[in-house]
Amino acid sequence: MKQAGSNTIFSLKNRLFRLKRDSNRWSIITLVVVFLIALPVISIAVKLFDGPGETWSHIVAHLLFQYVYNSFYLLVVCSVLVLLFGVTTSWLVSRFEFPFRKQLEWLLILPLAIPSYIVAYAYAGIFDYGGTLELIQRFMGLQFTRIDIMNRFGLAFVLSISLFPYVYVSSRAFFLNQANNLLEASRVLGVKEWNSFFKLILPLARPAIIAGLILVLMEVLNDYGAATYFGVSTFTTGIFRSWFSLEEPETAIYLSALLVLLVFALILFEKWQRRHIQFTNSKSGNKRIYRKKISKKMQLLILVMVSFPVLFGFLLPLAQLLYWGFLTYSAVFEYQFLLLSLQTFGIAFITATFTVIFATLLIFSAKWNKIGVIKNLSRLGVLGYAIPGAVVAIGVMIPTIFIDKWLIGTMHSIFSYTSGFLIHGTLIALVYAYVIRFLAVAYNPIESTTLKVSNTIPDASKTLGVGNFKTFFKIEFPLIKTGILSAFILVFIDVLKELPLTLILKPFHINTLAVKAFEYASDERVMEAAIPSLFIIFTATIPVIFLNRLLAKN
Amino acid sequence: MLKYFLISCSALFLFACKNDSKKEASKELNVYTHRHYESDQQLFNFFEEKTGIKVNVINASADELIQKMTLEGANSPADVLITVDAGRLYRAKENDLLQPITSILLNEIIPSHLKDKENYWFGVTKRARIIVYAKERVTPEELSTYEDLATEKWNKRLIVRSSGNIYNQSLMASILVNHDEGFAKKWSAGIVKNMARSPKGNDRDQVKAIFAGEGDITIINTYYLGNMLDSDDSEEVKAATGVGVFFPNQESTGAHINVSGAGVAKYAPNKENAIRFIEFLVSKDAQKIFALSNHEYSVNKNVPMSETLKSWGEFKEDTLNLSLLGENNKNAVILLDETGWK
Repeated sequence: MKQAGSNTIFSLKNRLFRLKRDSNRWSIITLVVVFLIALPVISIAVKLFDGPGETWSHIVAHLLFQYVYNSFYLLVVCSVLVLLFGVTTSWLVSRFEFPFRKQLEWLLILPLAIPSYIVAYAYAGIFDYGGTLELIQRFMGLQFTRIDIMNRFGLAFVLSISLFPYVYVSSRAFFLNQANNLLEASRVLGVKEWNSFFKLILPLARPAIIAGLILVLMEVLNDYGAATYFGVSTFTTGIFRSWFSLEEPETAIYLSALLVLLVFALILFEKWQRRHIQFTNSKSGNKRIYRKKISKKMQLLILVMVSFPVLFGFLLPLAQLLYWGFLTYSAVFEYQFLLLSLQTFGIAFITATFTVIFATLLIFSAKWNKIGVIKNLSRLGVLGYAIPGAVVAIGVMIPTIFIDKWLIGTMHSIFSYTSGFLIHGTLIALVYAYVIRFLAVAYNPIESTTLKVSNTIPDASKTLGVGNFKTFFKIEFPLIKTGILSAFILVFIDVLKELPLTLILKPFHINTLAVKAFEYASDERVMEAAIPSLFIIFTATIPVIFLNRLLAKN
Repeated sequence: MLKYFLISCSALFLFACKNDSKKEASKELNVYTHRHYESDQQLFNFFEEKTGIKVNVINASADELIQKMTLEGANSPADVLITVDAGRLYRAKENDLLQPITSILLNEIIPSHLKDKENYWFGVTKRARIIVYAKERVTPEELSTYEDLATEKWNKRLIVRSSGNIYNQSLMASILVNHDEGFAKKWSAGIVKNMARSPKGNDRDQVKAIFAGEGDITIINTYYLGNMLDSDDSEEVKAATGVGVFFPNQESTGAHINVSGAGVAKYAPNKENAIRFIEFLVSKDAQKIFALSNHEYSVNKNVPMSETLKSWGEFKEDTLNLSLLGENNKNAVILLDETGWK
């Protein structure tokens, strides 16, 4: 008994000693960053202890099955479609030479630039009664055959076609950087291209593809606008139904927690599936990209295949928006839109900068600190993306208003001056919320490029007495620049489109294009929403072309 | 590098802290609104011109705004809360977010069933939820009441949007109040049985589907049809002119109406301005922009209707006190869920 007791004390002592030995300032920085990011999530999680509201049993009895069923349907169908669109296109553009390849390369990213609920409206506008399709058929003297897309499959299609670029971007980065060496090796060994794609490239690209897919699925689960318009009840529509219609925010939070668990389960399942596989990345090699020359017929076939997602994800909705913009131009357009574009651009720029800094800090401080628990903790940071924006907004308001009230009280007692809120209702709170929401978007591309950097050079630098920080800027930063820039631009585009967080947390004098588009759309003036949507697309196109150049260069 | 980062951080902090919503209390007004209509901005500018009071606006859904005001508590900068239905104003009052105000002008202009009994909130524009029918397949003589829509006669002929929409919830609440729970449940079940398609789209989409023949009748708010008639899309105008308007329950309770309303926040830093603003909203000049340009009915009987509304004629409205809709909203939603109205 005594023995055991002293043993425990010994092991505790040992542990404390190790903790003291291993802790450095990076452990503290990681903890601070993780705490800042987790604070809103914790604020919401604490509310879970209150339990769901009294309508919970009502929801379980009448609605939950529908929510689970539809959400799973969307997860499965969207996964299939997104992998089909994303992986094929990225493989084809990085392996083969064909006409318009260079243009298609960046056009394939652009579907991301249109908010998915606007894509949903545009699609409804095309296939609706009196819609564009009917007008065209009438013009050609055909009988109108209506295709109803406002259903579950239609929703899955619309979401997939507007979100597949996440997979395209992440898998293309892998194909461009890694695939050449591997293919060359397998060709030397006499393996056919087709075989080596399925047996070698695809399994190796899996982490990159999955990283993109998880972002897509989180966004699919999160969608509210398109799902309500198409009349499909999902978890997220359920969250808002219990909050807005059943008047129980606590039940809404409970449902969000279930949603987060679902996403967590997905991530764990994927990790478990590949538990025996080790991924190592060749760090150098043939940088010149070798593209296969193929026959004219094949070129045409590939061109058609690659154009398909561009056509349906970008050009078609864009055409519909341009048509609506043309109809409503005189009534809607104001010069203020230019100012608004600048303002939105500014906010997106600031947010993307901070998100990237936080993500990098999280990844590297975890790398530089030596305590295992803290390393794992850093992964928790990405969960914000799984929670609906409106719920994140509550999570941000709880701590910021709490701190504000304390600040106001202290200032009042010291200077007897009563001020307004200092954090809540300002740009700080809004950017803070964005960072939490979009950290996952930045985390993945940065992490995957960081994995490729071998530790030998930075280690050598540190052995020579150069600090972590300096080593990072001199050596690691140039090596992971592509990842950081991809992350920056993805976050940038996401901020341009973001809606629920912005609506709740935006300061009085600040507006974004997405808010403007929403004001029209929510008033059932869908056509009038086209002009601000076109401005969003325009503002997003510039960084997308820039991103593509950088990716192609490296 | 680190130095520059810290400098830019602190600069941003200072810039972001410039939250001047409370500085000059007398010359500002902070509005939390659920109304996103184009004409509203015009109206705020008009108020600014007239009084010199600067209007700051936050747009979001009423429930989000209520949540925001609750968390902000006594420090909330909100002066006025505007919603698009009476139910949400009732909820704000119940959550202790509004304060009663005394205004002879408001009491004079606004009919008693369109405002809170204790003057916590006031309806500022009015809309009716009506039946719209395909002229080719339905005659107005066949139509009578909301209650009738649930009968066998309309089997697979009715289309309507989701019950997630507040206007359907309010209608259900009015049925619940005008009858009882048993009747309301049966009514909702009858409506679900009569649906020609699963609920989807918005009110405008229902009109287009009726015109195209997917169903024969639908239930929508008046101003959506009015706005369709003004649309830049000729197909929408064609659909809107091709359907008929019917005000139900004219022999009994009257057509179901709802208001877009406003209340003064409990901790309003600019209370005087807030009262002045609501009084301004119901004034004749403001109502012309506020109500007429969006084809809503004015709460001020001295303001004439828009030409479109005039062409639909006068009608008898349900004079049920609108607070009751808010009180019964949750029960209505539960019944809608139980009967499978998606």
